[in-house]
Amino acid sequence: MLKSKAAIDRFYHTLGTVVLVILIVWTLAPLYWMITTSLKETAEVYGEGVTLWPREPTLENYRILFEETNFPVYFRNSLLVAIGTTLLSLVFASLGAYALTRLEFPGRRLFARSLVYTYLMPHSMLFIPLLAIVLRLGLENSLEGLVFVYLGFTVPFCTWLLMGYFMSIPVELEEAAMVDGCSRLGVLFRIVLPLTVPALAVVAFFSFTLSWNEYIYASVLVADVDAKTIPTGIPNFIVEDVFFWGPMMASTFISAIPPLVVYFIFQRFLITGLTMGAVKG
Amino acid sequence: MSQVLPEPDAPQATESLSLWEHIKNDRRTLAFVFLLPTTVVLISVVIYPFFFALLISLQVKVAGSPGKFVGFANYLELFRASEFGRVVYNTVFYTFWAVAIKFVIGLAAALVLNQPRRFNNVYRTILFVPWAVPTVIASLNWLWVYDEFNGMLNTLLLSLGLSDNVIAWLAEPETAMWAVIAVVVWNGTPFYTMHFLAGLQAIPRELYEAAEIDGAGHVAQFWHITIPSMMHVFTITVMLSTVFTSTSIVVVNILTNGAPANLTQILPNYSYGLAIESGRLGIGSAVNVVFFPLLVIFIIALTRRMLRREAG
Repeated sequence: MLKSKAAIDRFYHTLGTVVLVILIVWTLAPLYWMITTSLKETAEVYGEGVTLWPREPTLENYRILFEETNFPVYFRNSLLVAIGTTLLSLVFASLGAYALTRLEFPGRRLFARSLVYTYLMPHSMLFIPLLAIVLRLGLENSLEGLVFVYLGFTVPFCTWLLMGYFMSIPVELEEAAMVDGCSRLGVLFRIVLPLTVPALAVVAFFSFTLSWNEYIYASVLVADVDAKTIPTGIPNFIVEDVFFWGPMMASTFISAIPPLVVYFIFQRFLITGLTMGAVKG
Repeated sequence: MSQVLPEPDAPQATESLSLWEHIKNDRRTLAFVFLLPTTVVLISVVIYPFFFALLISLQVKVAGSPGKFVGFANYLELFRASEFGRVVYNTVFYTFWAVAIKFVIGLAAALVLNQPRRFNNVYRTILFVPWAVPTVIASLNWLWVYDEFNGMLNTLLLSLGLSDNVIAWLAEPETAMWAVIAVVVWNGTPFYTMHFLAGLQAIPRELYEAAEIDGAGHVAQFWHITIPSMMHVFTITVMLSTVFTSTSIVVVNILTNGAPANLTQILPNYSYGLAIESGRLGIGSAVNVVFFPLLVIFIIALTRRMLRREAG
C-alpha cells in the first residue's frame, strides 16, 4: 500500500516534469528565434542558408537599427509616454483611492462601480470616437495626447487596485496622526502610501507596460514618424526595407527588455498584487 | 497644537486661509478635489467617447470633418455585407478556442508549478515571461517564426523530416486561424497561470490531508477538492480574458489583417479596417456597437463579482 502510493506520487511528479519541459520549450522557442536571428548575418537569415544557430554571431543588425533607422526616436518616445503615464497614474490613483476609501461623500459607491465599468470598457470600442476627439482638440501626433488617452485605461484599474490595499490599512493609524496635527495629504503621503509600496509597484508596472505596449490608439492617433512609439514604429520596417528581419528582431529584442526588467524587479509584488483584484473574493 | 495669531491687517489672507482650511476639513470638498483628475480623465477619455461612438455609428463621417446623420443606414449596409456573417462566426470561433486552450494550458502550468520541485521559482519566472512581452513584439516574432521559407517552424519541420514541403501557415485557409490563435495563447496563457496558481495556493492544506486519510487518490482529490475550490477563480479569469481576447486587434492586425479571404477577420479588426484603413468612421463604429451587447453580458457579470469584494 505504502509502496504503491510512493509510486503514484513519483508518477505524477515525472508527468509534471515532462509537462514542464514542454511548456518551457514552447515559451522560449519564439524568443530563441528572435535573439538568434538578431545575431545572424543577412546571408544566414534567408533562403538555403537558414540556420538554427548563428555561425558567426554579429552585432551588425543592432548597428543598422541604431544608425540607419528611426528606432532611437521610437524608443525615446515610448520611454517618455510610459514614464509620463506611470507618474500621473500613480498620483491620480492614490488621491482617488484615498477619497473612495476614507472620505464619506454621496455617490461614493456609484463612483467605485463606474471604475470597474470603465476598466472593462474594450479599447476597440473607443478608438474611432477618440480619433475624432483628438483631431478636434489638435492633439494628434503628440505624445501628450497619447498619455492623456492612456490614463483612461490605467487610472480606473490602478484606483481599484489601490482601494483594496487602502481598505486593509487600519484607520486608527491615520486618526492618531491627525490628532497629532497631520493633514489629510500628510496622512496619505506619510502613512498610507509607505504601507502600500507593493501595490504602488503593481500600479507602476501595469501603467508602464500598458503604455509601452499599446498599439491601436498609437496607430490611430499618431501618423507623424517623429511622434511614433515602438509598437507603431517597428512594424513599418516591413515595408521600408527588403532585408529587414535581422534589424527587426534586434528591435523586438530591445523593445522587450524594459518591460522584462521591470517584471524581474517587481515580480514578487506582482503575483500577489495583480491577482488580488480578481482572485480575492 | 500651534497658536494661530490674529491678523487684522490682512483680511484677504485670512479669507484664503479659511478657504484652504475649509477644503482640508470638509470631507466632501476634499473628496471632490482628490477625485477631480480621475473624473476628468474618465469622462473625457472613456465615458464621453463611448456615447460619441453610438452617435458616430448613425452618421456618415470622415475623420476631421463633421458627420452627416443617416439613421440606421450603416447598420443596414453592415448586415447586408456578404462577409459580415463570416466575421461574426470567426470572432466567436477565435475567442472560444483561444480562451479554451489558454485555460487548459494555464491550468496544467499552474498544477505543475504547484508541485514541490527544486528551482520552482526559476520555472515560474520563465513561464510568466510571455506576459511581460508586448503583444506587438510577440506578434512580430511569431510572424517571423511562421515565415514560409526562412521561418523557424518550417526549418525545424523540414530538418526533422516531419514535413516535405514548406507550409504557408498564415496564408493557408486550414492553418491561418490556428496560427493566429497560437500566438494569442502564447502571449495570454501566463495571465491564467498566474490566477490559477494563486487560486491553488489559497486552497487549505487540511482539505487534502483529510481526503488522503479517507483514501482518496490524486484524481479524486483533483475533481472533488481542487476543481470546486477553484470555481470562483475560473469564472473571473475566463470572463476577464473573454472580454480582452475578443476585443484585441493587435495579433490579427499584424499577422494576417484578416487574410486569407476574411478567414481570420474578427470584428474589432474589421472595424479598424473600415474606420481607419478605409476612412469610414460611421460604419466602423457600427461594427463595434453591434458587438457590444455580447460583451455587456460579461462586463455586467464581472462587475458584480468584482464589487462583491467591497461587501465581503
